[in-house]
Amino acid sequence: MPALKVSGLTFSYGPRPLIQDLSFELRPGNFMCVLGPNGSGKSTLLKLLTGFLKGAGGSVRLGGQEVSGIEQGKLARLAAYVASETSTPYDFSVRETVLLGRTARAGFWRGYSPEDGDAAELAMEETGIARFAGRSINTLSTGERQLVFIAQALAQEARLLLLDEPTSHLDLKYKSEIMALLARLAGRGLAVAAVLHEPALARLGCDRALLFSGGGAYSFGTVADTLAAEKLAAAYGVPPDSPLLPK
Amino acid sequence: MERNKFLIFPAVLAAACLFSLAAGPAGWSDYDIILNLRLPRTLAALAVGAGLGLAGALFQGVLKNPLSDPYILGTSSGATAAAVFCFLSGIERTSPVFFAAVFAGAFGATFLSYWLARLAGRLSDAALVLAGVAVSAFLSALVMLTLTSAGARSFSLFYFVLGGLYSVQPAVLIISSVIIAVSGGVAMARWRALDAMALGSENAYHLGINPDRERILFFTLACAATSAAVAIGGTIGFVGLMTPHIVRRITGPSARALVPAAALGGAAMLAAADAAGRSFFSPSEIPAGVVMALAGAPFFMWLLWKTSRGKN
Repeated sequence: MPALKVSGLTFSYGPRPLIQDLSFELRPGNFMCVLGPNGSGKSTLLKLLTGFLKGAGGSVRLGGQEVSGIEQGKLARLAAYVASETSTPYDFSVRETVLLGRTARAGFWRGYSPEDGDAAELAMEETGIARFAGRSINTLSTGERQLVFIAQALAQEARLLLLDEPTSHLDLKYKSEIMALLARLAGRGLAVAAVLHEPALARLGCDRALLFSGGGAYSFGTVADTLAAEKLAAAYGVPPDSPLLPK
Repeated sequence: MERNKFLIFPAVLAAACLFSLAAGPAGWSDYDIILNLRLPRTLAALAVGAGLGLAGALFQGVLKNPLSDPYILGTSSGATAAAVFCFLSGIERTSPVFFAAVFAGAFGATFLSYWLARLAGRLSDAALVLAGVAVSAFLSALVMLTLTSAGARSFSLFYFVLGGLYSVQPAVLIISSVIIAVSGGVAMARWRALDAMALGSENAYHLGINPDRERILFFTLACAATSAAVAIGGTIGFVGLMTPHIVRRITGPSARALVPAAALGGAAMLAAADAAGRSFFSPSEIPAGVVMALAGAPFFMWLLWKTSRGKN
C-alpha cells in the first residue's frame, strides 16, 4: 500500500487554479523532491497533503485513508510535517520541543512515558542534536533549529515525512547534512517528500521528482527524467544553457 | 534539587499573605480587624490574582504572544462593561445571570480583538495589542458614559471600575474561586496542547492538535478566570501580563509548571499590591488596580522594548 496517494488534486486561492488534476503516489522508501518556481504551489501542496489547507478537489490518501476523514491525532501518527521555519518567543529546550512530537501518542492527561523519552532520544541521536538537548531552541543557529524540528517530526514515528524547504537559509554543510539525513530515513523505509529550491540538491539521494511549472502544470517521475535540463529551463524560465541548472 | 526551586512559590505566597494580613495602621494588635476585615480581603486578592495570572499564562501560550494578557486584550474591559450593565439593571451580583453576563462580555471582547487583529491577514503580536487597546478604549468609554449618566449610584461603581477589593461578598468570592479553580484544573490537564500552541498553530496542527478547537477552549478558560476575577475586584490590569514573565524564569516555558505557578504568583502579587496600596499611603487608600498599573505599565514598556529588540 502506498504511504501517500494523490489523485486528481485541484486547488486554487483565486479564480486561476494553482494545482490542477495532480496525481502521484509515494511508497515507503521513496524520497521525492518538489521543485518549481516561486508561487507555483509547492508549499501549498504539502499543506493540502496533511489537510492543514482545506477545500481542494480530488483525493489525498494517507496509508489508504482519505485525509479529510482522518481524526487529528491519527493524522499526526501517519504524516509528520516540518515547516520552513518555526519560531516562538519562548525558550523551550531542545528536548521539550522534540518531546512535543509525541503529543499524538502520549494523550493529553498523562506525562511522557519512558517510551516517549526513548523515541525523543533516538530522534535527537539520529539528527545529531543530542549534545544540545538542554539548550533553548532560541539560542541555536537556523540550521541547528531546523534539525530540532526534523527530530520532532521523527519522534512522531509517522511513515510519511513532509518538509517545506528544509534547506533554505542554510549553508552548504547543513544542506548536504540534511539531504543525507533524509536519504538515510528513506533508506529505512520512510516515505519522504521535500520542497527544495535548488535542483542540484535532488542529486543528493532523491529517487522521485515533482516539478511544477506554473498554472497547475506539472511533471512527475524519476529524477533523471523529470529534472532534465530542458524541462527545468522551461519550468523556471531560464535559458537551457544556464549555469544554474545541473549538468 | 530541580524540584526544590519550585518551593519558592509557596514561600512567596505565604510571605504575601502575611504582609496582607499585617498591613494597615492597626498592625498585628487587633485580632478582630485581622479576622473580619483583612482576611476576607486577602482571600479576595488571592482569588483575583490567581485568576488573572492564570488567564495571562493561557493567553500568552495559546496566542504565542508574550504581550498578551486579559487587560491588554480587552477581556477585562468586556467583563467590566457587562458587570456595570448588570449592576445598573439590578441583577444580583451572586446570581448565575450575572456570572454568565460577565463571562459573555469577556469572551465577546476577546474574540472581537482577536478577529480585528486577524483582519490584517497574518496574526502579528503588534496587531493583537493594537486591536485589544482599541476594543478596551471603546468599552471603557461606554462604561464611563454609563456611569456619568447613572447619577447617584455611580460613585461606588466608579471604584469597582478602578479595580478595588473593598467590600467583597462571601458568596461572590466562593463562586469565583470555584470558577478559577476549575479553569485552572482543565488548563493544567491540557498543558501539552498549550505548549504545542506556543510553537504556533501550524506546528500544533501537525503534532495532532486541532488549533481552532484549542484556541476556543483556552480562550474560554482564560475568559472564565478573568470574568470571575472581575466579578470580585473590577478591572485590575497587568497581573496577567507580568506574572507569567516572572515565573517563567523559574519554571521555564512549559505550561505544565508555568500554569500553576502563574496562578500562585498572580495571587501573591495581587495580595502584596493590595496590601501596599492600603498601607504605604495611609491614611488614604490606593485601589489595587492603580498600584498594579503603577508597577505594570513600566514593565509593559520594558517588555515592548525587549520584544522589538529581539526581532531586529
